[in-house]
Amino acid sequence: MTDLVVRLRDHVQGFLRDLRDQGLRVPVARQRTFLRAIEATGPRDAAHLYWIGAATLTTCRDDLEVYSPTFERWFGQAGALPAREEDSPAEDDVPAPGGDGAPFAAASVGGQAGLAASHSERESRPVFGPASQDDRAVLALLRRELRGAVPMVRSRRRRPGRRGPWIDVARVCRESWRNHGEIVTVRRRNRPRRQRRVLLLIDVSGSMKEHSAAYLRFAHAAVGCLDRVEVFTFGTRLTRVTEPLRAREVDLAVGSLSEIVLDAEGGTRIGPSLQEFLANARYVTMARGALVIVLSDGLERGDCGPMRAAVRRLSLLGHRLLWWTPLACDPAYRPVTRGMSAVLGSVDTLAGVRDLRTAYEQVQNLARE
Amino acid sequence: MPADQETLGRRLGEEGYLADEGLLTAVHLAGVLGLPLLLEGEPGVGKTEVANVLARVLGRELIRLQCYEGLDASQALYEWDYPKQLLSLRAAEVEGRAAGGLYREEFLLQRPLLRALRAASGAVLLIDEIDRADSEFEAFLLEFLSDFQITIPELGTIRAASAPFVVLTSNRTRELHDALKRRCLYHWIPFPDAEREQAIIQAQAPGLDERSAARLVAAVHRIRGLALLKRPGIAESASWARGVQALAGEGSSWPEAMRRSAGLLVKHEEDLALVSRHAAEVFGD
Repeated sequence: MTDLVVRLRDHVQGFLRDLRDQGLRVPVARQRTFLRAIEATGPRDAAHLYWIGAATLTTCRDDLEVYSPTFERWFGQAGALPAREEDSPAEDDVPAPGGDGAPFAAASVGGQAGLAASHSERESRPVFGPASQDDRAVLALLRRELRGAVPMVRSRRRRPGRRGPWIDVARVCRESWRNHGEIVTVRRRNRPRRQRRVLLLIDVSGSMKEHSAAYLRFAHAAVGCLDRVEVFTFGTRLTRVTEPLRAREVDLAVGSLSEIVLDAEGGTRIGPSLQEFLANARYVTMARGALVIVLSDGLERGDCGPMRAAVRRLSLLGHRLLWWTPLACDPAYRPVTRGMSAVLGSVDTLAGVRDLRTAYEQVQNLARE
Repeated sequence: MPADQETLGRRLGEEGYLADEGLLTAVHLAGVLGLPLLLEGEPGVGKTEVANVLARVLGRELIRLQCYEGLDASQALYEWDYPKQLLSLRAAEVEGRAAGGLYREEFLLQRPLLRALRAASGAVLLIDEIDRADSEFEAFLLEFLSDFQITIPELGTIRAASAPFVVLTSNRTRELHDALKRRCLYHWIPFPDAEREQAIIQAQAPGLDERSAARLVAAVHRIRGLALLKRPGIAESASWARGVQALAGEGSSWPEAMRRSAGLLVKHEEDLALVSRHAAEVFGD
């Protein structure tokens, strides 16, 4: 082996090691594919090598964020490397209208809580305390009730069933073999019913501080007992919390969110947060045909245009859009704040939910509808 | 497969597909190494078209499996023709002869994956929008993509005579399994730069002069820069170019034709309203 080949091999091995150190895990099989590809094609220049590596060592677009700078460190600038495209223009990066420097247009009515909403993020971690005995009892009821309350939809997949409009020819024929070709029983297929997807969007901003923990416990119950459910929190940013909520124990699951939901008990940017959700194609799929429940007081700062547009689109995407707000628990509540009055036309049901008991009442209402 | 990457690029170009170096490298490697190619990118950037054009370039049959929720093995792989089996059994009974085997080739209904394996001179197999299928279906694909073989219990294991060129596409509506990704080469198709998009538009809207194409592409790029619900892909910009060309041919002024046919480019009412608010800067009125 010539000295040059040994040096080249060491260089490539060093590059692969560096990729791993930078956080891009490349299994041995893919590394082997990379080396095979180099051998098979004989890269012309650094740019060609860059693309060979991109095709063989990465598995998603996000990997390029690690791959590109590491490649550049080892092999130099490889010509015009692709710029990272955003899923949509970073409208969220624009300061929220009415934000810093702009005079704060206070919400007209709707309780005291929303008046404290701000644009800033909090500095200390929130503590989602343990559930009380009473809470646990209601959670048990919720788990029992939720399954029946979620609207059903017919699956596209046909399954064998006692009744149904389609004859299960395969099963009929298979059974007839045992009876010397005689068809004794006609078997059928149908499209079974299954739960619609449920999407929970939970406001964890400062104005919702008193209710956030209860809402998250409700989400934990939903994640535990429903087939398809997704949970996001929002305050000044959007956070997907479905996975952490899969932990079996409610206090453990909700408690772990203190480390993840970094904007809890901070400011409110409902419109931009919902738009962040809608800008992600993967998230939009979660809303399509789903029962969408927004748990928020709807007190938006500044311009309510983004919030109105986002809620309208959510409503068009989903099966139904429920808006649960603690303010509506007060019989005197009227949704006349700029934010709520703007989105009211897109909301199917506006209901009062401030804790687990009121959530349970709404779930019962849902089951009756 | 063309001998080298340059030839591949030229042949794709002759078929009207102008690929950048990244995509060319990925397609070339997939051919050389015999690995499936997973393409991701926003809708309308030409993922599916890669397979269509490749089939023409390679002179192979294009076999397409469109994925959807609920897709299962019997729709993707094979199914037995049960009514035909039953009729054959009855006929044998009437004629007083032995029915013979019921799991013979003549009773086999071949679905896209099996057809791709059995194509004599290889096929281009397009597994489109794999992210729409259930994750169980991905697991089912693993054996197929690893060894290009499938097992039919009644017939045994069927291996590809000539391995198909497999292209998988995904719109990233959900995360794919690592096991599937591990078996594929990967390429993200970005929106093209202005120069490439202009060449694509001119190829797809014959007769469009260079200056007009440049003007259209500049407008498309400005529109993509707006906060749209759905940014237009290449397919939309090419169809817009043809629309503008048609209206201009009927006597409309160029900006007027661009504005009137904007519905070919953006497909949401909100996006149309946004574009018309920025009409002056976008269409250059």
